Amino acid sequence: MTGGLVLSGLRRRFGDLVALRDLTFDVAGGVVTGFLGPNGAGKTTTMRAIFGLTDLDGGTITWDGRPVDESMRRRFGYMPEERGLYPTMRVGDQVEYLGRLHGLSALDARRSAQRWLERLGIADRVADRVEDLSHGNQQRVQLASALVHEPELLVLDEPLAGLDPTGIDDIGAVLVEQARHGRGVLFSSHQLDQVEDLCEQVVIIDHGQLVVRGTVDELASAGPPRLRVRVEGDRDGSWAESLSGVTVSEVRGGEVRLVLDPGVDSSAVLAAAAHVGRVTEFSLQRRRMSEVFREAVR
Amino acid sequence: MTRALAIRLVIAALVLVAVIRRAWRRRQRAGQRVSTRANQRVSSRADRSVVLLVAAREIRQRLRGRVLKVSTLVIMLAVVAVIVLPTIHSHTSSRVRLAVVTGAPASVDALAARTATALGLRLRVSSVPSSSAGRAALTANRVDLVVTDHSNVVVARAPSPTDTSPSAQFVRDLANELGTARAVAAAGLSPAQADALAHAAPVTITALSGSSRRHLVDPTSIIGIILTFVLLSQYDQWILTGVMEEKSSRVIEVLLAAVKPLQLIAGKVLGIGAVALAQGTLIVTTALVAASAVGSPILHGTAPWVLASSLLWLVLGYVFYSWVFAAAGSMAERMDQAQSLVFPLTVPLIAAYVYALSTASSGSASLLFKILAYFPPTALFAMPTLVGLHAVGVGGFVASVVIDLVGTYLIARVAAAVYRRAILRTGGRVRWRDLTRPR
Repeated sequence: MTGGLVLSGLRRRFGDLVALRDLTFDVAGGVVTGFLGPNGAGKTTTMRAIFGLTDLDGGTITWDGRPVDESMRRRFGYMPEERGLYPTMRVGDQVEYLGRLHGLSALDARRSAQRWLERLGIADRVADRVEDLSHGNQQRVQLASALVHEPELLVLDEPLAGLDPTGIDDIGAVLVEQARHGRGVLFSSHQLDQVEDLCEQVVIIDHGQLVVRGTVDELASAGPPRLRVRVEGDRDGSWAESLSGVTVSEVRGGEVRLVLDPGVDSSAVLAAAAHVGRVTEFSLQRRRMSEVFREAVR
Repeated sequence: MTRALAIRLVIAALVLVAVIRRAWRRRQRAGQRVSTRANQRVSSRADRSVVLLVAAREIRQRLRGRVLKVSTLVIMLAVVAVIVLPTIHSHTSSRVRLAVVTGAPASVDALAARTATALGLRLRVSSVPSSSAGRAALTANRVDLVVTDHSNVVVARAPSPTDTSPSAQFVRDLANELGTARAVAAAGLSPAQADALAHAAPVTITALSGSSRRHLVDPTSIIGIILTFVLLSQYDQWILTGVMEEKSSRVIEVLLAAVKPLQLIAGKVLGIGAVALAQGTLIVTTALVAASAVGSPILHGTAPWVLASSLLWLVLGYVFYSWVFAAAGSMAERMDQAQSLVFPLTVPLIAAYVYALSTASSGSASLLFKILAYFPPTALFAMPTLVGLHAVGVGGFVASVVIDLVGTYLIARVAAAVYRRAILRTGGRVRWRDLTRPR
């Protein structure tokens, strides 16, 4: 693939720590790509590298087939993990200023800032200082700053962290909307349910290298069959642990998720469950993103 | 067609193709050069535009804050006070009230008038009937001194030998004049002889070597030095905290995702520099207006030049030190870290400030001080002081400015490199050895 963002063979070492190890993946336009990995996997280093904020020991980053340079980066939008705003600057001024730094005229920057602040529900705070806003609203200002210049690519490091459900819905809707307009969206998150809901594509890295990449559908339907079983009176799924070829994947609120090895007959599992108590739920399931993640970084 | 002709035609065709191809390539290369130059021009314009945007933000932020308004007001009031108060004091003490006891020689009035004129004092003479009446007027503070006759001047309090005020000088000079008049009268000189004696001119002084060129204390230089130090400290603190704020709030990552580090730091230096120039100009203008209104001596002689050169060197010094402080700010995340980094860098600044104050007060510049006027970290205090002491010519002044500009260019390059490597390093103070490693 030459279109969109292509990261190829990225390498970066901090002393003895290898942060990126020949990392290669791409982010297509028009798609929301979830960027997952355990803490210290190299997600933030990768995102910083896209914007030239960290030096690379090797590898290339291209956008539409051309190496990413300063003029291209001005057409990208970035939201860092540790929020980057002037605490004492007014909300409207801040968004407008960042729009102008990305090449907008004064008038366009003002209009666009106003539009995004309205879209994100904080237009009434335009004259307030950023430090006077709640965490969630600061997050919205940060997103407005990343979007004000209508970027071709959005790179967001943990944009959903610390948000309430309404905030997650609002910001998630904006990300999907951006992708629908043909823009590339890459965001990292530890909230795997949200990733599953928002993303078409997922990239999982661990120890600085790619471990899983694919669409949400591909990843959910791949792998061995799995069952969701609920047995009356059972809370921990201990009955399944003794079954041969069956692995307990998750136990949550009495719901037990089981992974079956090839050749294991699901009716044998049903019989074992029925032996413990009345079976209230028994169904074949797709993999959850949390399972994809755990199995990838195990 | 002969074979030879055919060969010639083929060769001619090949040559023609080669010539056309070469011309085509030249044209393409020329087009590329034009395109590259055009791109460079566009890029350069965009760079300048970003620097101006950053500068404009700095200016807006400073103008909105209270610090600038309050500090400008306080400094302007202080400057006005320093200029106006001495003149008020001199106006109140420029009058002397003399009481002459009836019966004293008539020449007392003339002697007193001549002495007062020589000292620039306004004299008011009154007459009292007796010595005791004169003493009573003195006690009631209706007069400053009483002359009873040629042999006695009475004052409320004896002037100190170290008191150089005009009124104290008047008492001493008048006593001398009266003593001389009494001696002349006792010697029985004719009026012409007495007049010749009274108007005796001093003999010519012939020196074997030139004067020591020691000048009086120059108050304008001292005001300029103190103002430069106060303002420069304020501006450099703005640079330091501004860079640190961007680093500690992580806004730097968002900024550097869109602009180059050099654009950011240059915009900051330019913006705060513009505020500095405006504030400095406002203060100097206030000083000149206040001095003009009250007839202050700071407008006399070289004082306007000292003020102008102080303003120029404030700007030059700011530009030089702003890069140093920006680099220090980029290496720290907390104020205590920044202060420990900045302290060794400000030693020449503080040393030059103290040395300049001492030199301006003493009225003469040492050779070392003159050398320091050509050293960029210290020139901002040394050169205006030399201007006040008439110890530098136009050539020396210009040379110092040129050396400072070259020094600023070099320090800016080093500071920009430090800034670029340090600003994105978080998690504590950046150490010098970290700057050699990749970001």
